[in-house]
Amino acid sequence: MAKWGMVIDLEKCTGCQACTAACAMENSRLPGENWQDVIFFTEGEYPSVQVKWFPRPCMHCEKPSCMYACPTGATYKTSDGVVLVDWDKCIGCKYCMIACPYGARFYTDEKPLAAPDMRKVFRSKDDHSWSPPWRMPDNREDWRRGVGVQPRGVVSKCTFCYHRVSKAPKGTPDLDPSDPAQREFAPACVVACPPNARYFGDLANPNSEVSKMIANKNGVRLLDQLGNKPQVYYLTGSGGAVPTSRSTAKS
Amino acid sequence: MKLDILNTVVSRRRFLQATAATGAAAASGLGPVPIAGSAAADAKTAAASKTVITKNVCNQCPARCGIDVYTTDGRVHAIYGSLESPISNGKLCPKGYLGAYLLYDPDRFKGPMKRTNPRKGRNEDPGFVPISWDEALSAVASRLQNLRDKGESHRFALLEGRGWGATDAGLHGTFGKLYGSPNVAIGHSATCADGGKKAKLLLDGNYSYNAYDYANTNYMLVFGASFLEAYRPYNNNLQVWGHIRTKSPKTKVTAVDVHWNTTISAADRALLVKPGTDGALALAIAHVILTEGLWDRNFAGNFNDGANQFKAGETLDPAGFTEKWTKGLIEWWNAELKDRTPKWAAGITTIPEGDIVAVARELATTKPAMALFERGPTAHSNGVYNGMAIHALNALIGSMYAEGGLMNQMGVPYGRLPAKSEDFIDDYAKSDERKRHPRVDLVKKEWLMASNQSQAVAANHLAGNPYKLDTILFYMTAPIYSAPEARKWEEALQTMFVIDTSPFPGEIAMFADLVLPDHTYLERLQDAPIYPFQGWPMTTLRVPAVKPLYDTKVYGDILIEIGKRMKGPMGEYYRALGSTENILKHIAKGFEEKPGDNGVNSFESWQEKGCWYKKPYLWRQVRGEFFEWDGAGYNKPMKPEEVKTKLLKTASGKFEFRSSYVQDNEKYAAYINKALGVPVERVGFPQWIAPQFYGGGDLHFISPKVPLQAEGRAGNLPHATSIAQPVAGGRKTVYLEIHPDTARKRGIADGDRVRIKSSAGSIEAVARLYQGVRPDTVILPNIHGHWAQGRWARQSRLPTGSASEIIVNKSEPISGLAAYYATKVTVERV
Repeated sequence: MAKWGMVIDLEKCTGCQACTAACAMENSRLPGENWQDVIFFTEGEYPSVQVKWFPRPCMHCEKPSCMYACPTGATYKTSDGVVLVDWDKCIGCKYCMIACPYGARFYTDEKPLAAPDMRKVFRSKDDHSWSPPWRMPDNREDWRRGVGVQPRGVVSKCTFCYHRVSKAPKGTPDLDPSDPAQREFAPACVVACPPNARYFGDLANPNSEVSKMIANKNGVRLLDQLGNKPQVYYLTGSGGAVPTSRSTAKS
Repeated sequence: MKLDILNTVVSRRRFLQATAATGAAAASGLGPVPIAGSAAADAKTAAASKTVITKNVCNQCPARCGIDVYTTDGRVHAIYGSLESPISNGKLCPKGYLGAYLLYDPDRFKGPMKRTNPRKGRNEDPGFVPISWDEALSAVASRLQNLRDKGESHRFALLEGRGWGATDAGLHGTFGKLYGSPNVAIGHSATCADGGKKAKLLLDGNYSYNAYDYANTNYMLVFGASFLEAYRPYNNNLQVWGHIRTKSPKTKVTAVDVHWNTTISAADRALLVKPGTDGALALAIAHVILTEGLWDRNFAGNFNDGANQFKAGETLDPAGFTEKWTKGLIEWWNAELKDRTPKWAAGITTIPEGDIVAVARELATTKPAMALFERGPTAHSNGVYNGMAIHALNALIGSMYAEGGLMNQMGVPYGRLPAKSEDFIDDYAKSDERKRHPRVDLVKKEWLMASNQSQAVAANHLAGNPYKLDTILFYMTAPIYSAPEARKWEEALQTMFVIDTSPFPGEIAMFADLVLPDHTYLERLQDAPIYPFQGWPMTTLRVPAVKPLYDTKVYGDILIEIGKRMKGPMGEYYRALGSTENILKHIAKGFEEKPGDNGVNSFESWQEKGCWYKKPYLWRQVRGEFFEWDGAGYNKPMKPEEVKTKLLKTASGKFEFRSSYVQDNEKYAAYINKALGVPVERVGFPQWIAPQFYGGGDLHFISPKVPLQAEGRAGNLPHATSIAQPVAGGRKTVYLEIHPDTARKRGIADGDRVRIKSSAGSIEAVARLYQGVRPDTVILPNIHGHWAQGRWARQSRLPTGSASEIIVNKSEPISGLAAYYATKVTVERV
């Protein structure tokens, strides 16, 4: 069974936020509730200033603290290594949002970033939080996997575009969006990334490109000391910046 | 105050049409209810759904990125870059994903409308009522006919913004010629990037942007071009970045700007230049390249005795140097460069001497290398000379037409139009009386060398100089928001009959007498040849993904339909032209003889692939020799006259450091002398002239373009607004970037509401204290401050207006480019 994971090369990342915008489109996200965010920060004093950016999807941890915190079993790890939320089981208690060290989870009652509230402009008549005219095709919605227009009263998060990834032929080592045969299975942010800073593949396969890149380029994981063991690795090259990371000996 | 422009004007017929077309009119709250999580429902919808991918071209910037539009059950739900487009290569910048939000923008106009409220103003409800297309088109035609009958056809102006190709902006010239107005069309290029084009024309004879071989370059020196934010083609630039920064050897990048933006942050070296002084920096770099003997001898030639004689402050005998593909190097040195030392430039630019020397050495010793620039250096009173100084570096380092260097863009072999316009010009249009009337923007008169001066139209109309306009039509442009002293347009448009063609509400529509809404791009059939990219020719096609949601009409057909309603030969011409679809079928015939690399040889295959292109670029300079592609490689040596015809199109056929275009034209030389004070005998040299600043303030006011600008519509797109970063962007608004020391002196704290004031006016914004901006400069991207775009944009939000409202309307005299970055402002806490 695959263990899907992502590699993000920070030396290539230009901070353009195409990942954020594509994710929002693919997953019918509300404005500003970015499953895939790019966080900007500045350091230093003029004229030695650094502006940095850090792309942050859900880490799909091997040991997801959100899953352990979930009282109903709504958050779970799939056999192919993806952390999902079952919206039919989620009670919206938000414990997982507190437990997640990466700030990767979203609830629907947050104040809209831009008024008027898009949920009122494109009002839903059912349990969906809204009904945008560009929403994903109805048959792709899969509430047991947290895929679709987010319903009211539940927590949501990046699914690694499970509605795409899960359709990849078994045994595929990497989902390369430049290959027309694999393109439709790769996560939206990976398809989107203009400088090709994102790679997606099977971490359990030592012959996958992602595994090789992590090995060759010393892939590191965000906040590794916490022991969550993210399945998203960052390559720092000479141009990137990962906030404090330290490997842990714990298995 | 009620602004009914934003209320949906929908007749029952249109409502039914819309709901039938989309299957779900979301704005009306109707729509199929998906039942998720139910296996039975899933199976049912799965059986009914089929996803169709249509080819289109992104509309959010001029790059022409090919897109795949995913439509399922009649709704567009995804857009990705097309793998078949050599520009997008399957990728898109963040703006590309906004397309469906634009298509389904609930504030879109639903059909043609006319104004019922004769009063016009920001707070006047236009009182639009729906009319039929026939009524709307006939109203325009009879108005134009009436002007013509009175001999006043010059009083009709058409202002053109982002033109796409043969079926929209490509129709304008002919329309003006047949109708008899010099003002069809007045382009937006003087509020865009004419400064760079003119600088290149003067030096290498090509009035165009360059194509660049980024993939093979090893060094880039970027002057104020926002390479990772806005420089076209932005999406491809981002792809290039991923490649050049990880290839071997890694491409080094030095970026010159006035604040820390993404480009400068990602670059290896940041040079924070005093606004308007980039030319001084470039001249000093040239000085170092020469004094240190680092110039490319293959391209620029050498001293006859082979020994470098360039010494600071010392003139040289031109006879001692033999040039190869350049002309006037020693004259330039004697007239200008000999005194342009790094020390001199450091005093002007504030960039340390050591950095200037280091950059010059890197640029000249790393091969291939390139210098590129855009509005940062050129949107100043001295912009063309700044641009010339920078572009001249490309000749000194031999990157013109070299691998990893700069090229020009080849044209597309379109087939002939269905009718020849020359056969349809009537006596009226040909008459001497018609030639008597200058353009209303006074191009070729007051603006002797400029191509356009759309930013002058409002003031000229108000002053009746050269005359007052009667009717004005806007296509893809809104100077009322984006032109310097934008508020002048609010005054001017009160006394003109205004026709808007945007699919969306906006500031122009608030003053419109007629609204003839275009389709949005995902509904259009439309061609779009590319901007300069990699040199080889390419054109693209938009194929409608869905039927038009509303009662709109593609702009080209609006123009053709107006034409058909004109009397005489003009009407005949447009009847012969037929429609935009007919035009596209005719121009596609050009592909029969020259099939594209992707097999496109017909209208049908063009629709299927979305683009036609033919690689490679045909010419290359290799170590000072020019070669033409012979089918297998750059093997065919070119004669100097071929280089002159095809590449270096100056009078000498050389890259001219002493521009004959202006130096040998008495009128131009006198004009430049008068406008800029440059002695006539030296107008042709790239040189330092001090920039002029306007507005009466003490802080430079710079309004850069940011990644999510989305061709002026981001203000009404919450998805864009909410993620717009960095640096001054971010979460709902843009901020005024101000250095903490500068702010402290004015009692301004982070997050304070501030007033930004110049002699042109004032706006208010939120201050963000930012270490990454020069202490003598404040930055406010021009993305928000819209007041009539739609329900999101019109929320009371800071800034209170467009940055253009406080930019003084002064233009660089040679190119006519608006000196957008030459205003100085005061900033105070409100």
